[in-house]
Amino acid sequence: MDAPVRNYWREEFALAAGLLVFFIGVVALAIPLPFDARLFPLVIGVAGILLMLGILAGEIRRRATVVPADVIPANDPAANAAWPRYATALLSAPVFGLVFWLFGFFVASVAAMLLMPALMGYTDRRLILIVGGATVLVLALFFPYLVGVSLPHGIVGDWLIDRFLPH
Amino acid sequence: MLDNLLLGLMAALGWKQFFFMIVGTVIGLWVGVLPGLGGPVAMAILIPFTFQMDPLSALLMLASISVGAAFGGSITSILLNIPGEASSAATAYDGYPMAQQGKARVAMGLSAGASMVAGLVGVLILMFASVPVAKAALAFSPAEYFALAILGLTVVAVASLGSTVKGLAMGALGIAISLIGIDSILGVERYTFGSLYLLDGISFVPVMVGLFAITELTTMIIEGGTVSKSGKLEGSLWEGFWGTFKWPFVLVESTMVGAFLGMIPGIGATAANFLAYGIAMRTSKHPEQYGKGAPEGVIAPEAANNSCIPTSLIPALTLGIPGGATAAILLVAVTLQGLRPGPMLFTSNPELVWGFFVGLFIGCLMATALYLVMIPWFALITLVRIELMAPMLLIITLFGAYANERNMMDVLVAIAFGLFGYFARRHGYPLISLVIGLILGKLAEGSFHQALMISDHDYSVFVLRPLSAAIFAVCVLLVVLPGIKKRIGHGGAEVT
Repeated sequence: MDAPVRNYWREEFALAAGLLVFFIGVVALAIPLPFDARLFPLVIGVAGILLMLGILAGEIRRRATVVPADVIPANDPAANAAWPRYATALLSAPVFGLVFWLFGFFVASVAAMLLMPALMGYTDRRLILIVGGATVLVLALFFPYLVGVSLPHGIVGDWLIDRFLPH
Repeated sequence: MLDNLLLGLMAALGWKQFFFMIVGTVIGLWVGVLPGLGGPVAMAILIPFTFQMDPLSALLMLASISVGAAFGGSITSILLNIPGEASSAATAYDGYPMAQQGKARVAMGLSAGASMVAGLVGVLILMFASVPVAKAALAFSPAEYFALAILGLTVVAVASLGSTVKGLAMGALGIAISLIGIDSILGVERYTFGSLYLLDGISFVPVMVGLFAITELTTMIIEGGTVSKSGKLEGSLWEGFWGTFKWPFVLVESTMVGAFLGMIPGIGATAANFLAYGIAMRTSKHPEQYGKGAPEGVIAPEAANNSCIPTSLIPALTLGIPGGATAAILLVAVTLQGLRPGPMLFTSNPELVWGFFVGLFIGCLMATALYLVMIPWFALITLVRIELMAPMLLIITLFGAYANERNMMDVLVAIAFGLFGYFARRHGYPLISLVIGLILGKLAEGSFHQALMISDHDYSVFVLRPLSAAIFAVCVLLVVLPGIKKRIGHGGAEVT
């Protein structure tokens, strides 16, 4: 069994096991609740556990019978992606969220607009700069003035403003 | 009736009302395109500006935002597989494959045609059936509401693409997530772990942004290239627009599904969008074509969500019971204008009520015209390199999640659901089931408990009430029919 197929099965079982644990948690945490509050969670939790056990059993059976070449669908983009692109895809949202929380809209947006295309292998630097600059500028005007949502500065940005800007 | 219509026409065609309808429609189309920033958010933001306006202009502007957003929400569903509005999520299932085949213009034409027809029919139903239907809806007991919620979940489970068991598991997951927060019956905290954020439950907007936008973005980044795999745009807008009428059965069926669900408080356009898609697939002669770019798969959800919006105003205006977020905000606007929603509104302010109805009718035509004008420009998005578009969409979607309640936790929730959605979809877990479970979870639990309380904990209440029993019978039929059809099909094959 080659590495992509092995990884696919690992993902499949990890996902099913994770969901099984979630439903077990739903049932376990519902038990101490009063009857009316726990009835529905218990019904849903038990149904979820049974469904996940069924899915796990089905996947174990499928793993034993299926030809390795047929495991990953032919149109699955992840199967043929190079690792830098795959890592960019999975990490861009969490990293953007972290930078957005720490440093606010401007730093997170500029970083995303400049770094993401380069990480995905796009080479036209001039176009990246033009599109990135224009996007950040338009959104910086759009969100506060037309949608009415002020741009967050992030916790570091807020601290810097508190520390260095006169009130 | 004719007098009322003329009265409404005179009131709605004032220049001021017309101007605010255009403004509302353009804002609606605009926010509809942005994932996370839906019609209700824009309406809520603009409510303070309506204090200075006359009641009819204010109501028409707010309602036009909602109509425009329903139209606009389909644009990104079709072009990017990222629903601008939760109520357009099911549109992506066939709209996006059409865009990938280079038929984005045709898909948007289909969406425009279905939205226009369904919207107009919805307004006509609102005009002619307001009072009698609201009285009938008042007769719905919690047992019927529970049966309807189960119907919604059943339809999605049997219609979900891929494994039905995985569909059911995702439905259960959606319901389980909807249980987070304060229990509506006893006021007990459930699964909050002491977190203030979780007391109100998981907000719907970041979940939608995560499951649809972030999941799709992740896949798009891995794939690269352009959305239109052929690199060109085929077919015309008008081919799609007129093509809507080639499937009259789907159009009528989905319009009626949406109109009916709109009248029932709490169901909403999102559930109507998914349910109509599921029903169209179940009743189709070629269900295997759904999910691969079937035109009916665009017509059904778009017709349902657009007919749902006007009819959701029936219980809101006649009884003061909002059918969804849009109707709730409109009710707030009506109250802020010093008016009281209810049957008396029809007799004390006929000019306002009928002006509003006629204005909505004109608003549907206006939204269609503006949408058709803008489509050729929007369709060009499918030819832009994903490397340039992905960071742009990431910023807009995650800011949309934040902007909903100005809460960083919503960004975290969106990212978590986005990554979960990516892996779940890769392994054949249908995300629609999770969403429907999440929408209907609270309704199902609340009505289940209420029905039991009213019947003194007699569980037979769900099957002894005729309407509830009929809805449950439909649920059973939906589960059993495919098996029977299969057997009949196999039998036939053996005979021949």
